Amino acid sequence: MTRFIKVGGLLVIAAVLGIFIFILIQILPLFRGARVTELQSIALPKARYTVMGADEWSELPFLVRSDGKILFVALSEGGRITEVDAYPAQESTVGEPVRSSLVTAVNYSARRQEIILGTANGQFSIVPINYTMDHSSGRATVIQNLKPGPFTPIGKPGAPIFAIAFGDAGDTKLVAAMQQAGDQAELHAVRMTRKRTLLGMGEAKIDGTFNLTALGSGKPVQVLVSSQADSIIVLTAAGDVEYLFRAGEAFEKRQVFRPFADLSDPTIASIDFLLGDVSLVVTSVTGENRVFSLYRKPGSNERTFGLIHPFERLPGPATFYNSSLRNKAFLTGGGQFASLRYGTTESIRWQKKLPFTIEKGLIGGKYNRLLFLDHDARLHIFRLNDPHPDTSFKALFGKVWYEGHNAPSYEWQSTGGTDDFESKFSLVPLIIGTLKGTIYAMLFAVPIALLAALYTSQFLHPRFKVVIKPTMEIMASLPSVVLGFLAALWLAPLIETRLPSILLIVVLVPLAGVAFGQWWSSLPIRYRRLIGAGYEFVMFFPILLGLLYLSWRLGPALEKYLFTVTDPETGRRVADFRLWWPRITGTSFEQRNSLVVGFMMGFAVIPIIFTIAEDALSNVPAALRSGSLALGASRWQTALRIVVPTASAGIFSALMIGLGRAVGETMIVVMATGNTPVMDLNIFSGMRTLSANIAVELPEAPEHSSLYRTLFLGALLLFVMTFLVNTAAELLRQHLREKYKTI
Amino acid sequence: MRAPRPQSHKTAGEPLVWLTSIGLSLGLLMILGLLAIIVVNGLRVFWPKRVIEVQFKERGSFSFMGTNRLAGEIVKEQRQIVQSVADNQADARELQFYLGNKDVYGLNFVYVSQSSIAEMRYPGNILVIERIEYGNAVGYPVALRPQNAPAIPASDPSFAQRLAALNREANERRERIEKIERTQIGKINARMTKLRLRQRAGPAAQAKQTRTEDEMKELQSRYEALAQSASALRQQQSAIELVYRLPTGQEHAIPIGNLVSFRYPNQLSLWQRAGWFAQNAWGFLADDPREANTEGGVFPAIFGTAVMTLIMSIAVVPFGVLAAIYLREYAKQGVFVRAVRIAVNNLAGVPSIVFGVFGLGFFVYFIGSTIDEFFFSSALPTPTFGTGAILWASLTLALMTVPVVIVATEEALTAVPRGMREGSLACGASKWQTIRRIILPSAVPGILTGLILAMARGAGEVAPLMLVGVVKLAPSLPLDAAWPFIHFERKFMHLGFHIYDLGFQSPDSEAAKPMVFATTLLLILLVVLLNLGAIVIRERIRRKYAMGAF
Repeated sequence: MTRFIKVGGLLVIAAVLGIFIFILIQILPLFRGARVTELQSIALPKARYTVMGADEWSELPFLVRSDGKILFVALSEGGRITEVDAYPAQESTVGEPVRSSLVTAVNYSARRQEIILGTANGQFSIVPINYTMDHSSGRATVIQNLKPGPFTPIGKPGAPIFAIAFGDAGDTKLVAAMQQAGDQAELHAVRMTRKRTLLGMGEAKIDGTFNLTALGSGKPVQVLVSSQADSIIVLTAAGDVEYLFRAGEAFEKRQVFRPFADLSDPTIASIDFLLGDVSLVVTSVTGENRVFSLYRKPGSNERTFGLIHPFERLPGPATFYNSSLRNKAFLTGGGQFASLRYGTTESIRWQKKLPFTIEKGLIGGKYNRLLFLDHDARLHIFRLNDPHPDTSFKALFGKVWYEGHNAPSYEWQSTGGTDDFESKFSLVPLIIGTLKGTIYAMLFAVPIALLAALYTSQFLHPRFKVVIKPTMEIMASLPSVVLGFLAALWLAPLIETRLPSILLIVVLVPLAGVAFGQWWSSLPIRYRRLIGAGYEFVMFFPILLGLLYLSWRLGPALEKYLFTVTDPETGRRVADFRLWWPRITGTSFEQRNSLVVGFMMGFAVIPIIFTIAEDALSNVPAALRSGSLALGASRWQTALRIVVPTASAGIFSALMIGLGRAVGETMIVVMATGNTPVMDLNIFSGMRTLSANIAVELPEAPEHSSLYRTLFLGALLLFVMTFLVNTAAELLRQHLREKYKTI
Repeated sequence: MRAPRPQSHKTAGEPLVWLTSIGLSLGLLMILGLLAIIVVNGLRVFWPKRVIEVQFKERGSFSFMGTNRLAGEIVKEQRQIVQSVADNQADARELQFYLGNKDVYGLNFVYVSQSSIAEMRYPGNILVIERIEYGNAVGYPVALRPQNAPAIPASDPSFAQRLAALNREANERRERIEKIERTQIGKINARMTKLRLRQRAGPAAQAKQTRTEDEMKELQSRYEALAQSASALRQQQSAIELVYRLPTGQEHAIPIGNLVSFRYPNQLSLWQRAGWFAQNAWGFLADDPREANTEGGVFPAIFGTAVMTLIMSIAVVPFGVLAAIYLREYAKQGVFVRAVRIAVNNLAGVPSIVFGVFGLGFFVYFIGSTIDEFFFSSALPTPTFGTGAILWASLTLALMTVPVVIVATEEALTAVPRGMREGSLACGASKWQTIRRIILPSAVPGILTGLILAMARGAGEVAPLMLVGVVKLAPSLPLDAAWPFIHFERKFMHLGFHIYDLGFQSPDSEAAKPMVFATTLLLILLVVLLNLGAIVIRERIRRKYAMGAF
C-alpha cells in the first residue's frame, strides 16, 4: 500500500508538472530550421534548359529545352521522360510557319502554370500546362495536358524577342517583351482582356498595345510583369530598376532606383518577385541579397519600392532564383551554393554547398520539395521539411518590416483573406495588451484592496470579520464570464455616455473619505461616541451612495462645462466626452475600453489581494501591536509604523498573486474589449491580451500549424509569467512565516 | 520646528482610519451592488409585464409601421441623449418598448420619445402569445378558426377556455411528437449508423452480412412507421388556427401547434402573476432552448454543467487525495517536498486558459486521436474522441482544480491532532491502517471543502472549455437512455459558455439580454451556494478542532 501511494502520489505530481514540458515540446518546432535530404537524382539528356517547373505535388516536373521542346520527367516512374513539342507546326497569324528553333525567349509563371514563349520573328505564345490528378489507376498520378496557344505578334513586326514576361490577373493579361531592333532594344507591351459571358470565359482579345521604349533610360536586359497585370519592372545593364505603372490607359515611369548604389559594382545578378508580387528579391554580382517592397513613403500617395530586408551575403553572384508558391520563402544561390531564405523574417532556413554545380533551383508547390538541375543535366530531388518557416525569434518578438508597411513594426495578424497573405506573428502587442489590462486592473484594485485589508485587520470590530471574509471569498469565486458579460453589455453602454460622472466619482470618493474623517474627528466626543471604533465603514455606505448619485447627476453638467468640442459640420458646440477625448489626445475612444476592463477585473483581483494581505496583517504577532499601543501610539500610528512594515513582505506577495490573476484573466478581456491588438496604453481604447488571443484564435487554428504553435507559445509565456510571480510570492510568504515564528 | 500642539481631544491619524474604512465600504458596495443587479435583472425576466398601448400625437414626427399606434412592454426609461450645449432639452426622456411580433415588424425593440406620446392605456383584452418561433406575439384575439368548421369569435364567452384547452392538447401532442422523433427515431438512427459503420469496416461472413441487411430493412420499416405517425400528429397541430389582430391593425393567424402558452397580461391579478412567474422560471430550468438559444430554457446547459462537474469530481478526488497523503504522510519533509508543494500551490494560480491549451494539445489531439486510431478507425476521418468532448473537458478541469483539492486535503491532514495519530500507532496499527481508519475519516470534511471549492471553480470556468468541447447547441445530452448511457465523446452545453454565447454570438443581443441575465443568476446561485457550503463546512471543522480535547 505504501508503495502504491508513493508511486501514485509521485505520478500525480509529475503529471501536474508535465503540463509545462508538454507545452514546451509543442513550441520547439517553431524555432527549428529547415531539414533537407536528397531523395533521388535523374540524368536528363544533355542540352541547355531554359525553364524548370513542376506540378503542385512535385511529381511531374518539366524542363523547357533551348530548342523549345518541353520535357516531362515522371519521378514516380523512375524518371521516364516524355518529350512534347510546345506547338506542332502550326500557321502563325503572320503566315510564316513557326518552329521550335525560332524560340528566343521563355518565361514561366509558376502560379498560373503557364509558359510564355517569344520568337525570333516578334511573336509570342502562352502555353498553359494543365496538370490534373488522375485516380483511375488506383493511386493518384499526375498527368499533363499541354495546350499550345496561338501565336500573336507583339511590338515591332519581325524584331526578335530577347526577354519576355507576362502577368495574369484573371480577366486581364499583360505581356511585356523586349525586342532587338537593330542595335537598339525596344520594350513593348500588350494587354489582353477576356470578357465574361453567360457561357463562361470568352477568348482573350488584345485591347491595348503600348510602346514603352521611350520610358526606358538604359540598356534593358530583363523584364518582369506583376501578377496584378498593372506594372512592369525593367532591369538595365547598369543596375537600375525601372518601375512602370499603368495608370488608366497609359504607362508612367513611377520610379527608377539602383538597389546596389552603395556598392562599387552596382550590376544586378538576378531580380524576381516574391509571392504576392509586391516584393522584389535582388542579388548583386558580388552576392549581396536584398528585398525591396512597394509601400507608401511618408508624404507620398503612391507606392514605390524601398529596401525592407537586407539579407546575409551569398558567397558569389546568384545564378538561379525561385520563390515558393505557399509562403514568402525563396531559393537562390550560385555555383555549388544553395540557400533557402524567408522574406518576412530575414531568416536563412537552410543553406549548403552541394556536391554539384547548380544550374536551376525550384521550390515544390507544397513547400515540401527542392529540385535542382545541375551542370551535367542531372535533376536532383530533395525532401524539404520546414513546417514553420514564418516563425523565428525575430518574427515573434522583434520588429519586422512587413510588405506594404512603411516602417518595421510589431504586429499580430494571423490570418488574411488571400493566399499570398503575410502572417504577422508578433507577440509583442499581445504582451503589451496583457500588461495594459493588468496595469489598469491593479491601479483600480490595489488601493481598495489594501485599504480594506488594513482596515479589516486593524480597525474593524471583530464581530464583522466572520461575515466580511466569506463575502470577499464569494466575490473571488464569481465566474469571470459573468463579470465579462456585465462589463460588456451592462457597464460599457452605461458609462459610455457618463464618463464625466465616472471622473467625478474617482476624484470625489477619496476626497470625501479624508474630508469626512477630518470633520468627524474634530467633532466633540459626544457626537463621535455615536459611532464606535470598528464601525466606521458602516457610516460610509450612505455617504458613498449619496456621492455616487450626486456624481452621476452632475456628470452631464460637468461635460457641458469642460468637455465641449465644435462640430466641424454644423459649427455648433457639442458636449460629448467621446468626441472631446480623441480631439484633445489624438487617441481613439472605444465603448469597450481598458477602463471597463480594469474596473471589472477589479472584482477578480480585489478579493485575492484583500484575503492574502489581510492574513499577513492579522498574523503580525499581537505582542508587537500591544507593545506599541501600550507605549501610547494611536491605533493608526501602530498600524502604519509597526504592523504594515512587519507584514510588508506578505502585502507584497498579495500584490504579486493579484498580478498573476490579472495577467491570466481571459473571459473578461475577451468580452469587454474589442480584442484589437494595439500597442498603446490609452485608457479609452481596447487591447488584446495573450489569454484572450488564445481563446479567440485557438479553436480555429489547424493542428500543428504555425499559428497553433505560436498560441502554445503564448500559453507558455503566461504559464511562466504567473508561475514565477506566484513562486516569488509564495517564497516571500514562507519567509514571513519563519520571521513571525521567531518573534 | 514647532512644538507639538497639545491634542487633548484628537488622536493622531484618526481621519486616515476613516480613509481606510472607505476601502472596505467600496469593496462591499461593489460586490453587493453586482449581486443586486444580477438578482433584480435575473428575476425580472420571469415576471409577466403589463402591455401598454401607445397613441402618438397626431402631428408628431413619430410613426410606427405607418400607423400612429403601438403596443408593448416597457423595458426601460432613459434620458434622451442630447449633445448640444445650446439646446435646453436636458429632461427629454424616452421609453424602450418590447414589441414582440418579430415576424411582422422585423425588430423586437423600439425607442419612443416621451414627448411624442399622446395617450397610454392598458387594454384588457390584449393577448401575449408565446410561440415556438419568432418569440412572442402581441395582439388582440379575433377568432379560433378550425379547418372545416365555423370560426369561434373572440367575443364568444367560452373563447378563453376553448383556447386554453386547445393549447393544452397541442402541448401534449408536441411532447408526443418529440418523444417519437427524439427518442424512438433517434434510437433507430443510432443503430443504423452502427450497422453502416460495420458494413464499411470490411467484408464479413455471408451470413453476417445478410443478417445486417435484414436488420437494416427492418429498422427502415420501423422508421417509416414512426415517421408517419409523427407527421399525422403534426397535421393535427395545424388543424386549428388562432387569428389575432396586431396593435398596428394587420390580422395574422398562427396554427395552434405553434403556441407554447398565452396570457392576458393586463387582466392578471398579483397571484396570477406570481403563478406565471413560477411557470416561466420552471420553463427556464426545464425546457430546451429555442430560437438560437434566445428563447425557451437552459435545461441542456444545466445538465451539461452538472455532468461535467460530476465527471471532474470523480477524476479529481482520488488523485488529489493521493497526492496530498503522499506529500503529508509519506514524503520526507525536505527541500524537494517543499518545492513540490510550492509548485502545486502555484499551479492553482496558473491561468485557466493555459490548462485549456494543454487539454486541447494533450487530451484532444494526442490521446483522443490515438484512441480513434485504435478503436474507432472505421469512422475516420470523422473524429470520435479526437475532437472536443465532455471527457476531455472534465479531465482538463480536473487538472486545473487538482491543486485546490491537494491544498485543502493537506490542510485537513495537518489539522488532525498528533495525539490521535500517535494513539493509533501505539495501539499497534500500521501506518496505512492509521491513515485509513483514523486520519482519513477525520479529514473527510476538509477534503469535502476542497472538492466543493473545486466544483465551484469548475462550474464557473469557461475559457478552457471553449477549447476542449463546449458547444452552443448540443443535439443530444451526454447522459441518456441509449447504450452505453454515458457518452464521453459527446460535446455538451455549459451555463457559463451559454452566457458568453448568448451575449456575444447571438444575432440579436438585445433580445438575448433577458436570457443572459437569467442564466447569469442561475450560475451565480450555483457558484455562491457551493462556496457557502464550503465555507460552512470549514467553519464547523475549525470549531470542532478548536474545542477538541486532544
